[in-house]
Amino acid sequence: MNKNDIKLIVVVFVVVILSIILLNIFKKNGSFAKVYYEDDLILTIDLSKDNNYKVDGYNGEVLIEVKDNKIRVEKENSPKHLCSKQGFIDSTMQTIVCLPNKIIIEIEGNKELDGVVK
Amino acid sequence: MKKLIIIFFVLINICGCSKNVDVYQKNIYVMDTVINIKVYSEKDASDILEKIEKLYNEYNMLTDRYNSYDDIKNIYYINNILNVNEELRLDYKLYDLISFSLEFSKKYDKVNIAMGNLIDVWKKYRDSASGIPSYEELNGISSISESDIILNDGNITKLSDVKLDLGCIAKGYVTQLAGELLESNGFDKYIVSAGGNIKVGKKYSNNPYKIGIQDPIDKNNIYKIVNVSNESVVTSGGYERFYTWEGVDYSHIIDPYTLYPSNYMKSVTVIMEDSSYADFFSTYLFMIPISDGIDFVNRDSNIEAIWYGLDGKIYTSSGFGNYE
Repeated sequence: MNKNDIKLIVVVFVVVILSIILLNIFKKNGSFAKVYYEDDLILTIDLSKDNNYKVDGYNGEVLIEVKDNKIRVEKENSPKHLCSKQGFIDSTMQTIVCLPNKIIIEIEGNKELDGVVK
Repeated sequence: MKKLIIIFFVLINICGCSKNVDVYQKNIYVMDTVINIKVYSEKDASDILEKIEKLYNEYNMLTDRYNSYDDIKNIYYINNILNVNEELRLDYKLYDLISFSLEFSKKYDKVNIAMGNLIDVWKKYRDSASGIPSYEELNGISSISESDIILNDGNITKLSDVKLDLGCIAKGYVTQLAGELLESNGFDKYIVSAGGNIKVGKKYSNNPYKIGIQDPIDKNNIYKIVNVSNESVVTSGGYERFYTWEGVDYSHIIDPYTLYPSNYMKSVTVIMEDSSYADFFSTYLFMIPISDGIDFVNRDSNIEAIWYGLDGKIYTSSGFGNYE
């Protein structure tokens, strides 16, 4: 191994480590929620902006609210209103499932878990 | 030049981008829940996911207790339309499921798939939030005896107006079949999440699957994370299935001997390979005291479990540490 080889190795590794760090910083910036109807992604929501959204569920309109980087279903039409009762979520480990409306809201991010048993 | 090539391969490994593994996903809305399936594969898994959706839909109809479907002799039909002492030819799929269940509950008799009449009474009170049934009312219901169900060479006969309820097994059973279907088609890296039931195949990265177990008290929290591959993880109990009346929590799992909901723990989670058995054993363990359950699980090397006690204490079987 001559000097140039060592230089090359050092440079390459520095670049790799820097890009891994940068990628991680970039990933943490700005979190988004994904809204699905059945299997289809119908809306991606920026959680850094407080706002209200309307999507079409199986039983009609589903109102979604974003506040302080958290997201909840504010109003929907279903027998037990389980998903609007669930309230705000803000972690990738949590999911809002509106079964009768076939709407699923997930927070995007580096998933710490592959699944949750309830 | 050789060194350059070595560096190149080292880098590729660091990136983890050496294989083109894609994630194929599907959500299936059946059995009062949403079943999410993820397949990690280099080849297209869309077709197999369609087949799995069909499988779930088919078993959903066969095991449905509240709806009838054209040309399908399902649980609703057996419970509500079939006459006592009349023999009915069953779809072999439903026949196999009932027969598998009866065989299990012969050994573990607290698990009972013929408790429909009892469950209905509790469901009535729970749905209308109108208190709890009296012992007299519960004691007065029709048969919940599995011996009133006779299976014979593809046929079923009921000897009383006993009602089947496959709630404690249907999801786990189909999830097992789904896993087997994926594997036999060459898709061995997958995760099937069906609410309280999760089944995972081989790991898709260097790490096993990380499964969180929901805290039965604070459902926004996970109280334990387990690392699994080629296993099923099934929870019984759990926050969402409790019914609270006058400050007392009643679980949805009813003991066929006391006629009241079991109340030994907040939840129990079973880890074992087969999802059907995991579903049954989690129900069984929910119905016996934690100390008995620990003894039971420690005698069987195929099962590990974790309990969330009424006092908030966590108990684990002796081999559970392997998953932590």
